[in-house]
Amino acid sequence: MTALLEVCNLGRRFGGLVALSGVSFEIEAGSTVGIMGANGAGKTTLFSLIAGNLRPSSGDIRFAGSSIVGLRADQICGLGVARTFQIVMPFPALTVLENVRTGAMFGKAKLRHAAQADIVARQVLADVGLAEVADRPASTLTLSGQKRLEIARAVATGAQLVLLDEVMAGLTPVEVTQMLQTLRRLQASRGLTLLVIEHVMRALMDLCSRIIVLHHGELIAQGSPQQIGENDKVLSVYFGAHS
Amino acid sequence: MSEPLPDRGWLLVLAVGTALMAALPFVANDYLVGTGLTLLMWVALAQSWCVLSRLTGYVSLGHVVFYGLGAYLVVVTWQLVPLPLAILGAGLLAALFALAVGLPVLRVKGPYFVILTFGLAELVKYSIMAIESASGIASRILFGTPDLVRVYFAMFALAAAAILLLSWVSRSRFGHGLRSLRENELAAETLGVPVVRYKLLAFVLSAAIPGMVGAVMALRSTYFVVGQVFDPMISITVIAMAILGGGDNAKGPLLGVIFLTALSELLWAQAPLLYMIILGLVLVVFVLLVPDGLLGMFERRHSPTAARIGPSQ
Repeated sequence: MTALLEVCNLGRRFGGLVALSGVSFEIEAGSTVGIMGANGAGKTTLFSLIAGNLRPSSGDIRFAGSSIVGLRADQICGLGVARTFQIVMPFPALTVLENVRTGAMFGKAKLRHAAQADIVARQVLADVGLAEVADRPASTLTLSGQKRLEIARAVATGAQLVLLDEVMAGLTPVEVTQMLQTLRRLQASRGLTLLVIEHVMRALMDLCSRIIVLHHGELIAQGSPQQIGENDKVLSVYFGAHS
Repeated sequence: MSEPLPDRGWLLVLAVGTALMAALPFVANDYLVGTGLTLLMWVALAQSWCVLSRLTGYVSLGHVVFYGLGAYLVVVTWQLVPLPLAILGAGLLAALFALAVGLPVLRVKGPYFVILTFGLAELVKYSIMAIESASGIASRILFGTPDLVRVYFAMFALAAAAILLLSWVSRSRFGHGLRSLRENELAAETLGVPVVRYKLLAFVLSAAIPGMVGAVMALRSTYFVVGQVFDPMISITVIAMAILGGGDNAKGPLLGVIFLTALSELLWAQAPLLYMIILGLVLVVFVLLVPDGLLGMFERRHSPTAARIGPSQ
């Protein structure tokens, strides 16, 4: 089975600051892969590079076999890559349904008619548990609701690969449990491939078959949650020197 | 907000309004026809302006530049080119100008865009003034312009076209993309909206009709003064009408235009100085107390949840 996403020797500088360097990994279709690392490790930069919000300084990103480096964000979304934003970016004056409609009308789905798009959008909203608030302005949602809305919009684009940037940050433990169920349900029903940045370790360990660890812009470890939990490098980065 | 299907009340009002305006030249005197022409002009300008500024949130304070360019084209091609062709050419010129300046201009946002569009319009105004004076032309007078009724119906067609354009864009996929990028450009682009292309297309679409409006109005005044067809008050009045009307569909600006044209007709003749003062007051009151305009007031009355229109900022 060929990888859905291949990241080869990826690097990004901001002036003199190296945000990411020499990062390589592959993501199999249908898998859920976690990305961990401290603040400033380059996790969000990695997402911005994959989604086309930023251009890499070096290296290549291949999606479904072809390079997507140099494409605009909307073109990459059109190929089937969607992302959420850690700092939520709803369309505040539009309703929740209209927010999700944008994903369904554009993205990969490209449904021309609002009515068609709304069928898809309502389905996704039901899946993430926002069906009841579909006609409320997005600005009235709670943080948990806005995180769900981010996911709903991304999924409604019809993407195969969804990049989730800290969708559980700031949620209560009960909400985290609900979110994990939601993600599993979405993945199972739509065959999604998920790449997940998360600080909630329980969630990451629970959800992912594989975890990639970034530290100061470099990939220092990857493997199953158990392997990562026993990896000396990771432990020394997270907990200091380890005898 | 994508439109729910046009409601019957609105269609009825529109149909009656269209019939009245179409009948006006046959029953009214020249003064009233002239007032009707002014009303139609503002309708065409305000509806066009909304295609860009209401739907994308990029507030243009320089829409008069398209109007002025259109007028100028008709004047310099007077009796060289058949008039209908010159009017269409004016629309094309305005659209091409928008296309040419659009990419750099639409890179800046918010107040910077407002100032930039204003400055651009002034730049074009003074450039054309310089060209005119360098070529030694003191004033241009158009002989043999069409009669008022013809001018009126040309404007009638432009106003109708502008209403149709805004109504179509407002409920289209394109319009939904524009509203999305108005709310958050980065999020819209990441969801697949081609924001650069959409903004540019909205800019070009909102320029074409004002170019033709300028061309038709040049026939009305018969003499041509650069400072008059590039008067910044035209841009400002259009914005005032859109703010008073509210909303990002065809209804709002129409209400604003009718309200402001009526106000000016009532006051202008009686108390011209008072008019500007009252206009200022009305604007302040609307911006502070009724940010979603007359349309918002109406819709709130009918359904308390429907009143969320216009840019959120």
